[in-house]
Amino acid sequence: MAYVAQEVLIEYIKENQEKLYRIAYTYTKNQEAALDVVQEAITKSLENIHKLRNEEYVKTWFYRILINEAIKESKNNKSFIEFELAENEIHHNNHENELVENLDIYENIQKLNKKLKTVILLRFFENLKIEEIAYITKTNTNTVKSRLYKGIEEIKKNMERRSL
Amino acid sequence: MSILKKAKKAYNSIEIPQELDYVVNKAIHKNNLHQKSKLKIWIKGATATLATTFALFVILLNTNETFAKAMEDVPVIGSIAEVFTVREYKEENDTDLIEAKIPAIKNTGNEELEDRINYEISSKINEVLEEAKQRAEEYKEAVLATGGTMEDYIPTQINIDYKITYQDDNIISFVITKSESAASAYQEQYFYNIDIENGKELNLRDVLGEDYKEIVDEEVKKQIKERMEENKDNSYFTEGEGGFSGIEDEYQDFYINENKKVTVVFQKYEIAPGYMGIQNFEIQNNILV
Repeated sequence: MAYVAQEVLIEYIKENQEKLYRIAYTYTKNQEAALDVVQEAITKSLENIHKLRNEEYVKTWFYRILINEAIKESKNNKSFIEFELAENEIHHNNHENELVENLDIYENIQKLNKKLKTVILLRFFENLKIEEIAYITKTNTNTVKSRLYKGIEEIKKNMERRSL
Repeated sequence: MSILKKAKKAYNSIEIPQELDYVVNKAIHKNNLHQKSKLKIWIKGATATLATTFALFVILLNTNETFAKAMEDVPVIGSIAEVFTVREYKEENDTDLIEAKIPAIKNTGNEELEDRINYEISSKINEVLEEAKQRAEEYKEAVLATGGTMEDYIPTQINIDYKITYQDDNIISFVITKSESAASAYQEQYFYNIDIENGKELNLRDVLGEDYKEIVDEEVKKQIKERMEENKDNSYFTEGEGGFSGIEDEYQDFYINENKKVTVVFQKYEIAPGYMGIQNFEIQNNILV
């Protein structure tokens, strides 16, 4: 059984490596740190794969590990992140185009607190089901829903404040 | 467009660093190596290498894109599985002259198989090149240390190329050859026999059946004898000298030749003196056909 799960996991990781990187980056906002997170998550998952009972859950199970690692890493890296963000903002103000606007909104999501960010990311970027997100975040579907709602409200508020 | 759609667009355009592929593969193999995994069978021969060979050079080889991306760039011709050159690599400096053609397989209809084989090939070649470069470096140092100058040193030529020996709808057989010209000539071959339908690499048991060992042993002994009778200059090590006494297992090197015959291969020095070179034996009793 562990065999199968391990192979499913490796295949899943290889097929989705870019996705996994993007998720990590959304937390770390820094390339090197995101790569570290991906590497750490793969290591942890392979070390613990025998604990996974059902290989159907490989995806959500791996998401959980990845996001935990990403949150851990982003805590370590706080000062660096703020510096990076400041630089990005200056850059963006000079170029007004669609891409910049998109990035702006994306950065707003990046700035959300980790709970809100996680649900928004998984629901809208990764198209996961509410139930899967509940599993990953170890909460229930109602909590996920309310966080989603709160997250969207917060992004909107931030956007309005900007355009004023 | 909604706010979230816009954000998603930005999210999906997050730049993927070139190192990602390397980081992911390294993490997988580092953690997978000590565990007994099915993968080991597939990555026969490459197991020992994966752990040690990812030096800076590997990154050089994979500079621009990931393997997968490079493969996407090659136009698809028909849907027949094929072996193609996924990357050409050249390097010229004081120490060595490298020319490498790196093959990969595609259109097999089995992506997992392709990924596995292609990854194995690329890491194998990385390893082989790394070792060859190190030898070249050592040789150069030896020349300089013994009072030679850079003029006395001729850069080592390292060539890697491949040849498809057999192909049909179900089977691809190809061989990668590495040659190195230095003080002494080095040549090594790596064989890939792929069963496309079942998505696996073939071994001798698969192609010759349960009696593979007797079939091969008998045929090789017979042909060694013939070759020595044919030409007095031909010589093979005796069993006492470490010569041929029978193949070890089903993973003995072989390829499938243009007549769809299994051809067993022994590397230089393996069963005969160096001047005899690489030794090939076509197996007549073939159940593959």
